[in-house]
Amino acid sequence: MSSRSCIITPGNFRATRRQGASFLSVTILFILLAGCGGVQLTQIQKEMAGIPSRAELKNVPLYPQEADQCGAASLAMVLHWSGIPATPESLVPEVYSPSLKGSLQPAIIGAARRSGRVAYHIYGTEGLLREVGGGHPVIVLLNLGLSWHPKWHYAVVTGYDLSENFVVVHSGKIKPEYFPFRVFENTWARSNRWGLLVLRPADLPVTADEKSYLAAVLGLEKARQWREAVNGYQTALRKWPGSLTALMGLGNSLYALGDLPQAEKAFRDAAHLYPTSGPAFNNLAQVLWKEGRREEALAAAEKAVALGGPLSATFQKTLEEIQSGNP
Amino acid sequence: MMKTVAKPVSFLLIFCLLSMGFALGKAQAAMVGTETVLNATKTHQTDRIRLNAFLDRPKVQAVLEAQGISPEEARARIACLTDSEVAELAATVDGLPAGGSAVGALIGAGVLVFIVLLITDILGFTHVFPFVYHHPR
Repeated sequence: MSSRSCIITPGNFRATRRQGASFLSVTILFILLAGCGGVQLTQIQKEMAGIPSRAELKNVPLYPQEADQCGAASLAMVLHWSGIPATPESLVPEVYSPSLKGSLQPAIIGAARRSGRVAYHIYGTEGLLREVGGGHPVIVLLNLGLSWHPKWHYAVVTGYDLSENFVVVHSGKIKPEYFPFRVFENTWARSNRWGLLVLRPADLPVTADEKSYLAAVLGLEKARQWREAVNGYQTALRKWPGSLTALMGLGNSLYALGDLPQAEKAFRDAAHLYPTSGPAFNNLAQVLWKEGRREEALAAAEKAVALGGPLSATFQKTLEEIQSGNP
Repeated sequence: MMKTVAKPVSFLLIFCLLSMGFALGKAQAAMVGTETVLNATKTHQTDRIRLNAFLDRPKVQAVLEAQGISPEEARARIACLTDSEVAELAATVDGLPAGGSAVGALIGAGVLVFIVLLITDILGFTHVFPFVYHHPR
């Protein structure tokens, strides 16, 4: 009965603890709810223009899972789809928490980044359908049991059919599972509809929001995947030309790679487009200084100091370092 | 007694933490990180998140180690998270259970759970048992 039970997740854990309370009332409640059904697909179709009525992704492998390894199996499937030959076994050391007999969501996110992939959150049914319809498989967290008797499970949504009312799920078995939409909705709703995209940095989510996407690319910097972070920021700049965060992230990642001329260009673009951005001038000064162009570096650092703001102490320090010594 | 000790100890702690923060800032040379720029629109909140993340990273690492993960791997997992993700994780990690499930002990009667889950499976609320047939495909 518990061979597929998987994880305890921080996000959902609170809900689990509150449960237990009254078994009887829960029993009565579900009997009352039994007549309500889930979300009606026809209603969703009306509300969401531009979503294909069906989708089935062909290039997502099926990895049957070992006991408790649905997190590793799900991540391996989407990584493989994205071009990385990962296996569930190779990912267990990065995602699994032995004492929980499962994988926490942040571990899945971190492991995706360590493989050089952008981990982007999606929430809600509309986001799920837009992404899968746009060709992106989505890792979902399901609670196959009840809130007071949870059976957490990661799986990968690889398709759906709105007219036939089903969702295609790679769920750790040897064949895809076809969940009736209502069953899928009921089990997914118990994780607050947690979903995760794992994408090549050149591949923008269909539902991408600027700030969320840049935070996801920032995660690649955290994982020291500088080359992939550069790709991610370039992708962001194609979608949101002139984004200050993307230009700064691009410059910082190139700087970390030691590509000073390209880093300089990114910071120059930022400083040109945002002439009141202290960080742009500060980082430009830093790069110019490393390139041995002291006079230009001094001018940029002085500009940053003149602009001031909450980071003025950092700007001052840059200026002093340039004034006092060698790169 | 505790009170007289507490004050100097907490001052010492504050001093240590602040100097650690200073040291960290120094180590990053004088580049402004992307995270700072990303969050610049809401500075106050960002400062709090950064401070929390700074204080929480060792705590979260300890929790991960208690879950049977090696210290190096625990550190690597946390290093891949942004400051706000660490703060979020630390806020929820407090709620993690020390041991076995109290809920399970409370319910106890396995047969009852089985019957309830069987019914909810048939109704389509849950999907626990593979033998409950859901879709004619």
